[in-house]
Amino acid sequence: MPPRLNLFNARTAVPVFRQTSINVSRPSIATTINSNRSTRHGLKTGLSSSTPMQKRYNSSASGGDNSERPKAPTEDPLPHVSEEAAEISKIMDKKCDGTPASPELEQGTPISEILQRDKEAQKHMPKVMQDQIKSSTGTRSFSTSTRRSQAELHGQGKSFDEQTAAVMASMISQVNQQAEEFHDGIKFDPVETLPKTENFRTRYDSLLEQFTKLLMTDGKLSRAQKDMAFILDHLRTAPPPQPNPKRPLLPGPPAPQLPLNPVLYLTLIVDSVAPLIKIRQQKGIAGGGASVQIPVPLALRQRRRTAIKWIIDGSDKRRDSKFAQRVANELVAVAEGRSGVWDKREQQHKLGIAGRSNLGMVGGRR
Amino acid sequence: MVSSFCWGCLTRLRPTPRAVLPPTVAAPRAAAFHTSTVRYALPTKKKNSLDGPPKYRQAKSARMKKKKPVERARPPPVGERKALRKRIVLSNPNALEVEGMQDFTSETMVDARLRGSILGLPVPMLTQLRAVEAFKPKQGWSIFRRPGTVVRRETLELGRLIDSISNEGQDKGRSVKKIVTGVRGSGKTVHLLQAMAMAFTKQWVVFTVPEPQDLVIAHTGYAPLSDETPNLYVQNEATATLLSRTVVANEQVLKTLHVSREHAALKSSVKAGMTLEELAKLGIQDPAIAWTVFQALWAELTATSAASGFDKNFKPRPPMLVTVDGLAHWMKNSEYRSVEFEPIHAHDLVFVRHFLGLLKPGTGKPALPNGGLLLYSTSASNNPTIYSFEVALKQIAARQAGLNASAPEFPQADPYSGADKRVIDAFDSSKPTVAKEGMLELQTLGGLTRDEARGFMEYFARSGLLREKINDEWVGEKWSLAGGGVIGELEKLGRRLRVTD
Repeated sequence: MPPRLNLFNARTAVPVFRQTSINVSRPSIATTINSNRSTRHGLKTGLSSSTPMQKRYNSSASGGDNSERPKAPTEDPLPHVSEEAAEISKIMDKKCDGTPASPELEQGTPISEILQRDKEAQKHMPKVMQDQIKSSTGTRSFSTSTRRSQAELHGQGKSFDEQTAAVMASMISQVNQQAEEFHDGIKFDPVETLPKTENFRTRYDSLLEQFTKLLMTDGKLSRAQKDMAFILDHLRTAPPPQPNPKRPLLPGPPAPQLPLNPVLYLTLIVDSVAPLIKIRQQKGIAGGGASVQIPVPLALRQRRRTAIKWIIDGSDKRRDSKFAQRVANELVAVAEGRSGVWDKREQQHKLGIAGRSNLGMVGGRR
Repeated sequence: MVSSFCWGCLTRLRPTPRAVLPPTVAAPRAAAFHTSTVRYALPTKKKNSLDGPPKYRQAKSARMKKKKPVERARPPPVGERKALRKRIVLSNPNALEVEGMQDFTSETMVDARLRGSILGLPVPMLTQLRAVEAFKPKQGWSIFRRPGTVVRRETLELGRLIDSISNEGQDKGRSVKKIVTGVRGSGKTVHLLQAMAMAFTKQWVVFTVPEPQDLVIAHTGYAPLSDETPNLYVQNEATATLLSRTVVANEQVLKTLHVSREHAALKSSVKAGMTLEELAKLGIQDPAIAWTVFQALWAELTATSAASGFDKNFKPRPPMLVTVDGLAHWMKNSEYRSVEFEPIHAHDLVFVRHFLGLLKPGTGKPALPNGGLLLYSTSASNNPTIYSFEVALKQIAARQAGLNASAPEFPQADPYSGADKRVIDAFDSSKPTVAKEGMLELQTLGGLTRDEARGFMEYFARSGLLREKINDEWVGEKWSLAGGGVIGELEKLGRRLRVTD
């Protein structure tokens, strides 16, 4: 067993010893790894726990040292060339492997930790250690620097920590409560996160904005907004829709309540007739220049866009003199299941189901 | 793969005679280092396009498919679009009924406790209010269950004024003249509407000019009044419309009143026992005599006593409310032209001249001898800029503040700005000589107070149109956003839909 040295004290007090302690305190890469190898051997035997401990302390101490004091030029003698090459190749190999180089594997694990994890091993551990665990009174006849294992092995210390933590937590909560009572330095309640529509750039509902912009022709947004206001007012004042049981709207509030929230009403209408897929005509899969219908899933915005396009197209066939009136009437027709938009959606879905078999061809191609 | 030939062999190769080489037609043209295949390639086939031979004198660019316009069998009938535009909807059956909403009555209109709440317009009165065109198409009546207005400070003052004029007391029979101004959306038109509603509850006679602009844009017929006064012009159709408005709205009152004097111009048609309703209907039936009938009706309504021989059915005349909404259009040249093709000033139209003349203090007896209220409002959205009118309004305010017209601080028109003297004179009313006549006042409507704004927003919430927690903080925020409680802006904020998700 190597002698226990308090390296900090030794170095600061007796600078003459520095040269002698070099090999221990600041090992080169090669020596560190060499020693680790030996440690792993030691683990297998499972006898000595002090060696890895000491290595660990050494390495950490050396790390601290590096930053602390300037390096002397002759302090760090290089290892032999062949030795270094061997070590470097080892390091490189490891990196190439991609195995995570855990510090535990490199530096070794204290036997006590392994024993703590492994219940089976605990039964077969040396008698000295078993005795040590059994007679855990908190006082020891010997001194040791393994503070870490001590804290983990002794359950009493743990409970003590928990107690202090609980006391601290109660104190903190008490202080917080007092602060809340006095409102010291807090004049107003904490600010809640603003809803999205409070920002003036996104002040309209997303569907509303999309619909308005699709109503727009020749870039006349203001006119489209007027039309949208008309449509919303129409939805607000028109009699509530009589839902068709065959073509129900998406689940939402009951129909008589819909006009009170026209934006929700509009959203329900559009989302109810929005198709889930589009049909892509793809050439060159089947060969011979024939195109094959491939169903492609749509995102929410795309689905809504398709539905709005259909609704506006459907409204073109109406006879009312005002564009906004036509669209509004078409929307109510959709809500009541009378509109041709529903047929379009069903047709699209039917094609999509028929084209499901073609999806395999796409995958095979890739 | 390395070729088995060596360089020397390759260079010694002589070009092979043509006949030996097979014509390799199938070889691609892309191999540029072969010349032989290109030489022996078959001539490229002409592409047989479906359209036939190439078109040389036509555009070859890609043509966008144009959507065919849908055949709408008939254009909308004449007046349908305008009717749709001018349609006034006063009820939304989908909106919730507001619990405990009170109506305009003679009690509630003076009740200061109701300040900040919404008073509904009584349903029987709606036909009267529609007849005098108190509602405007762009006002947001259509989203509520039934029309109602906010009781603000000015409303209560108006209610007390109307109450005091009609009730027995010191102020009975007083006549008050006001010009209502204010920023856009501050509730000037609705203030007039409230005055009309109060006047109807107090059984007054109401005359209104809802659209002064219509009288000066040359959309109705005009003619010189008579040979003696070739500079004055009469608008018979417009006058007939005014008479019909008045008759429909004030039918109950006019039916109880009877003709009290002889009318020289209408000698043939006016009989002794005629009611005023019948008198007014003469003008509606025959627009040619509409202006004469209107003058006769006005003379009857301003009569304080009956002429001799007509005493039998005479009843004291009720007070009158006269409103004009959008005064500035009457302060410039009209679109009408005289015979010399000179523009006619709006003050030369007898209709306009009559209503502007009421602002002047009457000589001997007040302009409204039986008491009443003149409420003329300006408009802020449809408003021609007229410098002399602005100066005239400033002068009214200065006179109201007690400034003398000769004082140096008294606002005067810039002598080089070409101010219209007739406009400034029209409002230049000296101190009235008659006791019961008030001075011309200027009333400026501002924003609501925060409490009134809160009542207004709660009305939205209780109608189910607004989904917010109405607390002081939220109302204060909206009050500030609305430019200090301008009610038109508050209404927009109340209608604004916010779906938080």
